[in-house]
Amino acid sequence: MSNDSGPKLNRRDLLKRIGAGSALVTVAAAVPTVAQGAKKQEVRYAMVIDVRRCSGCQACSIACKTEFEVPIGGVRSWVEHHDAGVYPNVERRMLPRLCNHCSKPPCVDACPENINATYKREEDGIVVVDESKCIGCAKCVEACPYDARFMNPFKGDPKLTNGNGTADKCDFCLHRISKGVAPSCVNTCPGRARIFGDLNDPTSEVAKLVDELDTTVLRRGDKTKPSVFYIGADWIESKKDKKAQQFSRVDTHRNERSTHRFS
Amino acid sequence: MFNRRNFLKLGAASATTVIAPALSLNANAAKDLPIRGNRDFSPVTGKERKMIPSACWQCVTRCSNVGYVEDGKLVKIEPNINSIRTEGTLCAKGQAAINHTYDPDRILYPMRRVGERGEGKWKRITWEEALDEIAARMKKNRDAGTPEKVVYHYGRAKASHSKTVGGFFKAYGTGSIGNHTSICEGGKWSAQELTWGGHYDNWDFDNTKFVLNFGSNFLETHTNHIPVAHRMLWAMAERGVEMVTFDVRNSNTAAKSRDWVPVKPGTDLAVILAMINVVMSEGLYKGDGEEFLKYTRVTEDVDASVAQKVSAIKAHVKGYTPAWAEKISGVPAKQITALAKEFATKKPAVLVSYRGLVAHYNGNEGERAAQLLCAVTGQMDKPGTRMKAVGAGWNFPKIKPAKKTPKLDIFDGFPGQAAYPTHHVSHQVLKMIKDGRNGRPDMYITYCYTPAYANGDVQENIDILKDEKLIPFYVSVDPFYGDSTMYADLILPDTPFTERWTAEDMVSPSQVAEFYIRQPFTKPMGEARDFSDVVFDLGKRLGIDMGKAKSHEDFVRMTCDSTPGVKEAGGFEYMKKVGVWHDKNAKPQQQVYNRPVAESVYKAKGVVLDKASGVYWKPKSDADAKKGYVATKKAYKGYVAQKMPHGVFSGFAPDAVNKSGFLELWSPLLKAKGFGPMPTWMAIPEHQKMASDDLYMTTYKVATHSHSRTMNCKYLAEVYHSNPAWINPATAKAKGIYDGDRIKVKSATGEFVTKAQLTEAIMPGVIAVSHHCGHWAYGRYASDRRAPNAGSDDRGDRDYKLKWWSDNGVHPNWAIANSPDPINGQQRWMDTVVKVTRV
Repeated sequence: MSNDSGPKLNRRDLLKRIGAGSALVTVAAAVPTVAQGAKKQEVRYAMVIDVRRCSGCQACSIACKTEFEVPIGGVRSWVEHHDAGVYPNVERRMLPRLCNHCSKPPCVDACPENINATYKREEDGIVVVDESKCIGCAKCVEACPYDARFMNPFKGDPKLTNGNGTADKCDFCLHRISKGVAPSCVNTCPGRARIFGDLNDPTSEVAKLVDELDTTVLRRGDKTKPSVFYIGADWIESKKDKKAQQFSRVDTHRNERSTHRFS
Repeated sequence: MFNRRNFLKLGAASATTVIAPALSLNANAAKDLPIRGNRDFSPVTGKERKMIPSACWQCVTRCSNVGYVEDGKLVKIEPNINSIRTEGTLCAKGQAAINHTYDPDRILYPMRRVGERGEGKWKRITWEEALDEIAARMKKNRDAGTPEKVVYHYGRAKASHSKTVGGFFKAYGTGSIGNHTSICEGGKWSAQELTWGGHYDNWDFDNTKFVLNFGSNFLETHTNHIPVAHRMLWAMAERGVEMVTFDVRNSNTAAKSRDWVPVKPGTDLAVILAMINVVMSEGLYKGDGEEFLKYTRVTEDVDASVAQKVSAIKAHVKGYTPAWAEKISGVPAKQITALAKEFATKKPAVLVSYRGLVAHYNGNEGERAAQLLCAVTGQMDKPGTRMKAVGAGWNFPKIKPAKKTPKLDIFDGFPGQAAYPTHHVSHQVLKMIKDGRNGRPDMYITYCYTPAYANGDVQENIDILKDEKLIPFYVSVDPFYGDSTMYADLILPDTPFTERWTAEDMVSPSQVAEFYIRQPFTKPMGEARDFSDVVFDLGKRLGIDMGKAKSHEDFVRMTCDSTPGVKEAGGFEYMKKVGVWHDKNAKPQQQVYNRPVAESVYKAKGVVLDKASGVYWKPKSDADAKKGYVATKKAYKGYVAQKMPHGVFSGFAPDAVNKSGFLELWSPLLKAKGFGPMPTWMAIPEHQKMASDDLYMTTYKVATHSHSRTMNCKYLAEVYHSNPAWINPATAKAKGIYDGDRIKVKSATGEFVTKAQLTEAIMPGVIAVSHHCGHWAYGRYASDRRAPNAGSDDRGDRDYKLKWWSDNGVHPNWAIANSPDPINGQQRWMDTVVKVTRV
């Protein structure tokens, strides 16, 4: 696939091809590119989230919670509801969230140099935490611009972590995908809003979607180059919408304790 | 462009191989398209987990699922990818059911009250003691000739569960068996029984082009939630199907719709009547509508021609103009007209309705009007429209009822409260017990039912349950110590669904029946026992013949091994391996009403024509024949066929009331009770007397909870535990209320204090407060109160100390009256008038 080029379709073609949710499709945004000059990975795992298919039902959140027995207070995957507008012209948009498995992950940089407990896997681009190395300093949790990490009090060696537990986060269900089974959230999603695969395989569905449709990523300006792409979420970047922020309410079950840390 | 459905088919195909022994994996498996489901691995050890196909019970939808077991412990629940109902999807509630199994406040042994009722003092007793006591009491009633004073009241009992447990009580000799449907959507079903006979409508989203939705938040919650919700999401994304949703608030369903149309509570009926007016005045009934009207009754004269029917409808809706409806509902007349035209021309279209339409004083008429709108546009029981639903027809073993099964007449409300309560008036049961005119139970047994919490007027429910003069002995069968079990005298520890057997039968949106079973993932914890096993033991003690089965597992085995289709596929053993079965050659059911009936059938011996209704039926006696079809008690049981001007047809056969075989929208039954025979506007009485600063209060449910039974699931409680009242900023401003303020909500029934959540996503003049929250018991995660049986034992639960929220929300039912729709008895959840003030 040609990950480096922009969208090849004009709007009219695009609408014909996707048939639905036309109003939500981004027209102008460029497709994010893989880091130039870097040695090309064989596999680049990615998730495409088609928010047109998301009803905000939280099935993915619970699929993740149960797959990993995530402690109360910790979240690897979740859904935000963004309310915007003025009655009766209101919109409620859903935004499923997880680790973006950035190409340039700030969390990896934040992990102390001699520790290197969090790193990006060369073979497939998944950003992981090595529980046996993590010292529980939580610097990566602070560094993540997506709030995708939390401290898991039940993990790690207490002597090493000072009782803080280890950093924890989505790993694209590495234990499942390595056996050819879809990530837990992807598997259960009623709308089939979450699509997983290898972006470097031009025959994969994620590659086709990213190639053929306009997608957006979170915090494009941060140059993190996420591996999580959104279809139908162009409002994230809309200037008009930013102006309308004064009327909007972001509602997520992470809200109440986004600063929550295990002591 | 490749399409998602092919992709899913691909996924399903590879999934079937999973059933066969070990799927061979090559080293490059990860590079291939990941397959969906029915396999899981431990994230810690990487070992494959044992997969067991079963079925959910977190809500009445009862989706197929699979559970994974590791070292004898249930660790994960996922969708069953082989199910044609769910197509391999599952909701949050279903997956969080592992929290139910391992709820640290689960009841694990029978308990007998030792303190005052509700005081929370209990002693552990043995099953022998518990069942001896129940059996002794039942014997005493049987010997005294008063078996009806043993009252069994269930919340959810379906399929084989209903057969064994209900069968036991009927075999014992009591007909005092109550349900809870009137606090769900019983009114919708009664209205359907009055019109098309039988109940349940399936919305064929797979084949539709447009969806018009009156008050159903089905993407978040519904009696067939995931099976229809995922289909709608796919239809929207893949085929561009648009939906328009009428609701007082911008629910997730409304948000996913093309248009959210705010409508004043209790006025959807006016909008639908006006839409019928548009269809008739614009001639949009021509063609499909006229064809369908042949099968529709809209006049007293059952021989009326289509032209006469058109005139009759036109005359009936003449005054129901869009301008008239705008005044009542607040929906602009122009929008009503445009949407009526869109619904009538974008064929096939589905008309969806639920509690937003039916949980009102005029709910019966709302649903009947919805049926009429489908009829005049010809959009009923055809692909892509509102269709008669299809579920599995199991061949259940028979449990013979006693010769006589007398009952206390406490299930249908007070005299005159409801004309045709075909799904009963459960919210009046406690009131009727208090009143006493039709007798009181000696023993009141609840199963999967929390009468104190689930009904309106919570305080009165508690007062009655606490009063030993009104209810001398209360047995609660429940896995959890909850808001009602706390008032019981004896608690039988039921199993959560993850430890049960059932042969299941819920509706399949594909219009092809799916047969599926529930089987235990793990053995019951502690001394918990499935009530449908317990009744076999009770049967032995009481000398009741429970048939050939010796346990519920036995019952399910016999059911699977004798049901045509399932039997040939391998019966019980096959179902244990795969969990689901459907007939791959079956055609989706449609148009049940227009099948010609042979003369040999309707002129058979004993069949007579009732001229007034056009019904061919088999009266039981000459006297009945003389009395006529409509006036004879339970005459519908003898229905054979319907005479129509153009022939004799199968028709919309009746199953609960003496309606004709037409889609009956001119109802002699309603006329006889003083209601309009045609769907007629009825204003909500309380709404006509509102003071200028009064507000309407409505309720709703969210995707992560069932009405009353899931707040003890910690993962669900973490996502949603607090339910501030939604209020429009304009309405709040007028009352000096700011976001997050504490407010008092007061009605004629009661009051509660909650927080205000200012949002533009609700219409002015209304507050909306969800259910689910505000438990005063139901364990530590729901209420921060440990069950008395749990003591200080955390049973391995390591999360409670991490519970980061203290606001467990507020229950709105303290301020909602138990009040029925006058036609069908449906609880009027959405009619409450309140005063809201800042605290």
